[in-house]
Amino acid sequence: MEQPVQTEMWKAQSLEELVRILHRIFAEDKVSVEEVQTLMESYESNPEEWLQYAKFDQYRYTRNLVDNGNGKFNLMILCWGEGHGSSIHDHTDSHCFMKILQGNLKETLFEWPEKKGNGEMIKKSERVLRENQCAYINDSIGLHRVENISHTETAVSLHLYSPPFDSCNTFDQRTGHKHKVKMTFYSQYGERTPC
Amino acid sequence: LPAGLSQWFPALEVLDVSGTGLAELGAELLALPRLHTLLAKNNRLGGPGSLPKGLEQASLGRSLRVLNLSGNRFPEVPPALLGLRGLQSLSLGGNRLHGIPPDIQELRSLEFLYLGGNFITSIPPELANLPSLSYLVLCDNKIQSIPPQLAQLHSLRSLSLHNNLLTYLPREILNLVHLEELSLRGNPLVVRFVRDLTYNPPSLQELAGRTIKTRNVAYAPSDLPENLVRYLSLASNCPNPKCGGVYFDSCVRQIKFVDFCGKYRLPLMHYLCSPECSSPCSSASQSSTSQSESDSEDEASVAARRMQKVLLG
Repeated sequence: MEQPVQTEMWKAQSLEELVRILHRIFAEDKVSVEEVQTLMESYESNPEEWLQYAKFDQYRYTRNLVDNGNGKFNLMILCWGEGHGSSIHDHTDSHCFMKILQGNLKETLFEWPEKKGNGEMIKKSERVLRENQCAYINDSIGLHRVENISHTETAVSLHLYSPPFDSCNTFDQRTGHKHKVKMTFYSQYGERTPC
Repeated sequence: LPAGLSQWFPALEVLDVSGTGLAELGAELLALPRLHTLLAKNNRLGGPGSLPKGLEQASLGRSLRVLNLSGNRFPEVPPALLGLRGLQSLSLGGNRLHGIPPDIQELRSLEFLYLGGNFITSIPPELANLPSLSYLVLCDNKIQSIPPQLAQLHSLRSLSLHNNLLTYLPREILNLVHLEELSLRGNPLVVRFVRDLTYNPPSLQELAGRTIKTRNVAYAPSDLPENLVRYLSLASNCPNPKCGGVYFDSCVRQIKFVDFCGKYRLPLMHYLCSPECSSPCSSASQSSTSQSESDSEDEASVAARRMQKVLLG
């Protein structure tokens, strides 16, 4: 007879502690999505702790690496100026957690286009994520577009991807056509890293 | 704003009065000679007298670099603003603007212009006279067309047009070689090849004008009445590079489906001099959609290749 697995629910008191607990969780063979999502949500955003990673670009959103998770995951902070948004994209077979640290982000979910897609992509749902909320997505759930729809406030989000990936597909909403793109970091560990 | 502001903080460079419920910014501002950044978003500004008089003459007219008035109630771009010759960054996002004044071109130093989230219906061609504009945000408005003159904004790096009422884009947009970001999602862009067959036959004057131009018939200003000399100077070249023709008022609006940097099919406005004048390879059939899609690739592919990576919504 199997012993029931004890699922501890962590609470991260700081960003540093969040990273420490994540390392511990991902050192195991099995990682529970629910555990990670609860952990991410438990961290109460404190700008003092992440301001050094929050580098904004006036033209588009930026990706700023915080921790490379010993190869098991990538933890990064994304900075969204007013009106900045992403294209519709997939997650290259990885898990993606997205927590709002500041402001709000609108997430629009899309169905995968048909194989020979040649029509408008189908919107599944949309929602606005508030500060400290954490969303989760993977390829089996669908595709999404993330955008800061505010014209007056910037937004900052904390993303965890496991396993890490540096390329994904972007999709044309009107036709479903996809295009592979390479993703780059605007900064790593607080240092600007132009490509 | 407190009356003693300039006396207490004469060296003030950055002032942030966002979210304070202010209904007007008073003359106290004018006495701050070092002020270069003024943030006044999410207030109740917008009525007459929201901005102090004499803005242009004050040192602020030259020293102010950044002005953020987003999230207020401006029904129009306040004329007082247009005297800020040193202004590099202006945000009027989330206000109640219905248009953009042509005098916006007075802001000669402007690099960053955010007008997203208003009720703007059209763009004045004068906007293209801003020599340093690199970031232009027009998303979430009611814009139906983009003036082709916008292609003269050579320094434009990022253009945000998402969530408007655009059905097509001017072909000239391909001339923006420094453009790295272009957002177009949420526009009713025409997906299928559409040919507008409403074509008014050219007038006798137009036909004569065309002949003079294409045959290079010599004429001196003394040969013709002034109005005709002027008319002849307004000849436009047919955009079809294989056709040496010109047109004056009579043209066919043809929306062609062009593969844009291999990522996205954009409908572009092509003004052609007659319905028969079209890309050389389309001489065979006019009905097949795929045929017309592929022959337009030829024309625009050269210009499209010149453009750098463009991320489209």
